[in-house]
Amino acid sequence: MFNPLESAPPLWHNGPVPGAFYNFPGTQRIPAANPITHTQSPVTTSTSIIAITYDKGVLIAGDLVASYGSLARYRNCPRVIEVNPNIILGAGGDYADFQYVKSFIEQKIIDEDCLDDGLKMKPKSLYCWLTRIMYQRRSKLDPFWNNLVVGGLQDGVPFLGTIDKLGTAYTDKVICTGYGAHIALPILRDALDKKTNLNLNDAKALIKRCMEVLFYRDARSFPKYQLGIIDKDDGVKIEGPLTVEENWNIAYMT
Amino acid sequence: MMMQTEMNAYYPDYSTAPIQRQINPYADNGGSVVAIAGNDFVVVGADTRLSSGFSIYTRNQNKLFPMSDTTVLGCAGCWCDTLTLTRILKSRMQMYQQEHNKQMSTTACAQMLSTMLYYKRFFPYYISNILVGLDNEGKGCVYSYDPIGHCEKATYRAGGSAGALLQPLLDNQIGQKNLVKPSSEDLSQEKALAILKDVFIAAAERDIYTGDSVLINIITKDGTKVETFELRKD
Amino acid sequence: MSILAYNGGAMVAMKGENCVAIAADRRFGIQAQTVATNFEKVFEMGPHLFVGLPGLATDTQTVMEKLRFRKNLYELKENRRISPKVFAAMISNMLYEKRFGPFFVEPVVAGLMPGTFEPYICNMDLIGCINQPTDFVVGGTASAQLYGMCEALWEPNLGPDDLFETISQALMNAFDRDAISGWGATVYIIEKDKVTVKNLKTRMD
Repeated sequence: MFNPLESAPPLWHNGPVPGAFYNFPGTQRIPAANPITHTQSPVTTSTSIIAITYDKGVLIAGDLVASYGSLARYRNCPRVIEVNPNIILGAGGDYADFQYVKSFIEQKIIDEDCLDDGLKMKPKSLYCWLTRIMYQRRSKLDPFWNNLVVGGLQDGVPFLGTIDKLGTAYTDKVICTGYGAHIALPILRDALDKKTNLNLNDAKALIKRCMEVLFYRDARSFPKYQLGIIDKDDGVKIEGPLTVEENWNIAYMT
Repeated sequence: MMMQTEMNAYYPDYSTAPIQRQINPYADNGGSVVAIAGNDFVVVGADTRLSSGFSIYTRNQNKLFPMSDTTVLGCAGCWCDTLTLTRILKSRMQMYQQEHNKQMSTTACAQMLSTMLYYKRFFPYYISNILVGLDNEGKGCVYSYDPIGHCEKATYRAGGSAGALLQPLLDNQIGQKNLVKPSSEDLSQEKALAILKDVFIAAAERDIYTGDSVLINIITKDGTKVETFELRKD
Repeated sequence: MSILAYNGGAMVAMKGENCVAIAADRRFGIQAQTVATNFEKVFEMGPHLFVGLPGLATDTQTVMEKLRFRKNLYELKENRRISPKVFAAMISNMLYEKRFGPFFVEPVVAGLMPGTFEPYICNMDLIGCINQPTDFVVGGTASAQLYGMCEALWEPNLGPDDLFETISQALMNAFDRDAISGWGATVYIIEKDKVTVKNLKTRMD
């Protein structure tokens, strides 16, 4: 096949190579100049989300930092949100993608309110819907670079599910994303093995402990975090900013 | 000349060309499915571990999807594709039911699955599917698929991450392969169930993507019975 | 495709009660084309010592010759038989010498320890990392299939006859599900006062 880049030099300066067409100066179109841009890698990122169900609800926690590579760039980025009185949502990964996803979740809630039928979306519906959105974007090879954690009450029963950037979705009693999947998840699973039915205080103490461990060991973490609570009796509450009680006396350097 | 300014082969840091990188739309989430058919029954089992690399996402994930009263689909591979495929399949089953006022037969469902997989020939669903059910005579049958829709009917099949470990075992124990005196007895439901459990124990020893527990569906003309069976969790 | 899977082959060794067994297929092929069906991959290195060398066929033979040479030298120097354990260490050492340009074989050693006649099996990877389990070892292109078979069929304290049956069934059913292994098999049952060699009649497709 004819390839102008591998053939003889151009006939004159900036002219065509033998066998190729001449493009008038200024009208040249470089085919690679306007590609479709995709999120090939995340830019401003947030780290782990940890979540646990207890007897009467769900807890979701995530810290407040959004990093720019290794730089702790933005230090007040909330990423645990109330979606409606039935649902709370936590997100990790690219913060811009999260804000975009959040914007149309909010639009959907507004659309539902406008129906004025008194019905509120339940967590399973949102979880299912977000799964489809994440899968659609990965199928375009342009994914939302997020891990989403959906918590809520499905007709009074605690619900906890997660979706990753490919649309991989599952539900479980404990869910941790990112670094938390390696550090916090074993702590939470172990606690749940020892005591299956946690109450709010047990769960809160566990989350507090996990955020502390994560702060010590995850270099992209931050001592300020939010804790989203959805409780059968008390409804939704986003607590925070809470602070990890740092104690560096336990660390020593020789 | 153009190459120089755009790509800047000598100074990649000064390149103005867009970096071309593609994300991998697939994940290997592991899992194994085993199906054994008898004369008037079929049993299918799938482990309940959902994982990726060295992380276990959850220890309790059902990978068996009922399609009708007599048909069940077992899936292993890319979980996000599994979710999508099974949802489309389910709606197609419902559409058939509402159009024809009867449930789709296992054989028809098997053909439909093949067509649906091939429809995505150039961006496939990365799933090992095993479809089981009772045919129109009430006989157990197993259909296994490759990711792009090649379909084969069998009486027993192992698929997924431990497929290579389990298939020869089934050849031996159920297919009576390489035996001097193969037994002429029909396979009983109890025997099939016992072998199914044994092969999963063997798989959990050596395949890190198989473990936690097995969910078993036993399909007979009286309906589907669900059983669970614990495996090692490490 | 890996160079280890260029010629194909399946190998397994198992411990029994006062006996060990080692078995391999007999195929020699070049990728999908079968060239010969009488290719030996298991070699006698002493009265109670056998080594199997699945992998690249040219290295199977080279490594066997080199091992025989080293073993003979050891036996002349020491004026005693080499034990399976020492022999395994010797192979491991020899393979690691070629750490960055290895021989493409994954050796399996099976034998009885001199004096005690205690069963010994081990296998190693192509650069000599030894694995000494208490039950069985596998190697070659059908290793996944063999793991599945052995994990289900093997049990402790098998006598020579039961061990023969177990290893044969494990090997045959495993390589029937591997396109580049099979075409006959050889089984060695090693006991204190006899070694039984059996050639299995198997599927030839």
